[in-house]
Amino acid sequence: MTNGFGDYVRRRREALREADSGYSVRQVAQRIGVEPSFLSKVERGEAAPPSEAKIVALAGELGEDADVLLALAGKVSSDLQQAIRHRPELFAALIREMKDLPDHAVLRLVREVRDGTW
Amino acid sequence: MIELRDDCLHMRFPDVHPEARMSLHFQRTLRIPDDGGHYPLPAGLGPFPLRHVDDFADSVPPLWLEHGGVMLPMYQSEALWVNFDGGYPFAVKIAAGKIDAVTGKPWSNALHRRPQDYVTVPKQPWLDGYCVEKGVIRQFVAMPLGSGYSAEEQLTGKSEVGGLQLIAYPLKRTAYEKWIAERARAIEALPAASMMLSRCRGLDMGLALGGRMRQEIYDDPFQLSDWDQNHAARCFVHIANSQVWRAITGEEPPTTPLTAKEYRSHGIPWFEYYGEGKAVAGVGILDRLKSLAQIGAEKGDAPPLDDETITVDRVVVLREGLEKGQVREGRF
Repeated sequence: MTNGFGDYVRRRREALREADSGYSVRQVAQRIGVEPSFLSKVERGEAAPPSEAKIVALAGELGEDADVLLALAGKVSSDLQQAIRHRPELFAALIREMKDLPDHAVLRLVREVRDGTW
Repeated sequence: MIELRDDCLHMRFPDVHPEARMSLHFQRTLRIPDDGGHYPLPAGLGPFPLRHVDDFADSVPPLWLEHGGVMLPMYQSEALWVNFDGGYPFAVKIAAGKIDAVTGKPWSNALHRRPQDYVTVPKQPWLDGYCVEKGVIRQFVAMPLGSGYSAEEQLTGKSEVGGLQLIAYPLKRTAYEKWIAERARAIEALPAASMMLSRCRGLDMGLALGGRMRQEIYDDPFQLSDWDQNHAARCFVHIANSQVWRAITGEEPPTTPLTAKEYRSHGIPWFEYYGEGKAVAGVGILDRLKSLAQIGAEKGDAPPLDDETITVDRVVVLREGLEKGQVREGRF
């Protein structure tokens, strides 16, 4: 079993722990509502990543982007799944069309705050 | 480009540098008394909700659509501060009613150095009000546009604009690379509802000058030519009266602001921030304006404000280079 997710979480948590002892496995596990032994297994790649909600909570704890952590865990957030299911053809075409575009070109598609005349 | 996500404005300039990112939000806070004293910084009590004006095109005034941008709700005499987050240097101009909050001069898009009419991020983590003299600001406090309290009305005699305006410029890539290399060396050297709305007066809010607070506007550590003025993100932030926020958005407005008594009884701390480097001096325009309390007294308005002196009993000192967990927030 590849352990990109667990490794990443452990590295981030340990980096934070250097400055703050509140980032021990036990305390982080408590704050996101899982057993410390489970989080420890996840970090070592001995257990599959937790549920979406727990990954989102973990991302919040570690100051990471939730979508990035979900992707590492092989998941896609449920709001994105819902958006795709709602308009499957449009989004499938859009994602396939955009998958090789450079980041800055993709970012231009994000909804901007419109500036007017003032 | 600017994106609105989770009540936060996110600015990104991937064409300038992949790291050229900054976010900005508006914090609810305690209105400090206008009693002649100089207060430390009150805590943030949570971000104001922010919405695209375009999403409520049927219920906002047509002028708001012309301005574009976003909107937030404020109660009359509620205070606000602006929070900047990000490690990439940005020069940010902030105006209220198109009056520059640092100099008191009329709005222009461009940056000026003498006198400096912008703040620099990340050096400046917050801006709480109008810069009235070196190291002192007068808090941004919402008052209905048209009531004569805002800096805009006092300086222009008109009540046309209101709200907050901002424009941000990233540091040029070359200047950033030089800065980051120098910083790395410096770190190593260290020891470790439209019908209803048309009838509704006071929909638009302007920002008056509240009590005095100790806050420095830091002198730009870069050259003016280091800022990439070919790349800018500009946004108009409309301020809607909280009472009509529901009519515009269908959402509940935030709860009424905390009073000084509640602030104290919840044990919420105050903050002092010490950055390195010089502070800019006031330009002498904003300091001549009248504060909310002064105008209220002259007009004989029923005293809506509780301006009793607050005893500041718990001050948290924060220093430049805020670390994780070092936040200016209060829990209640």
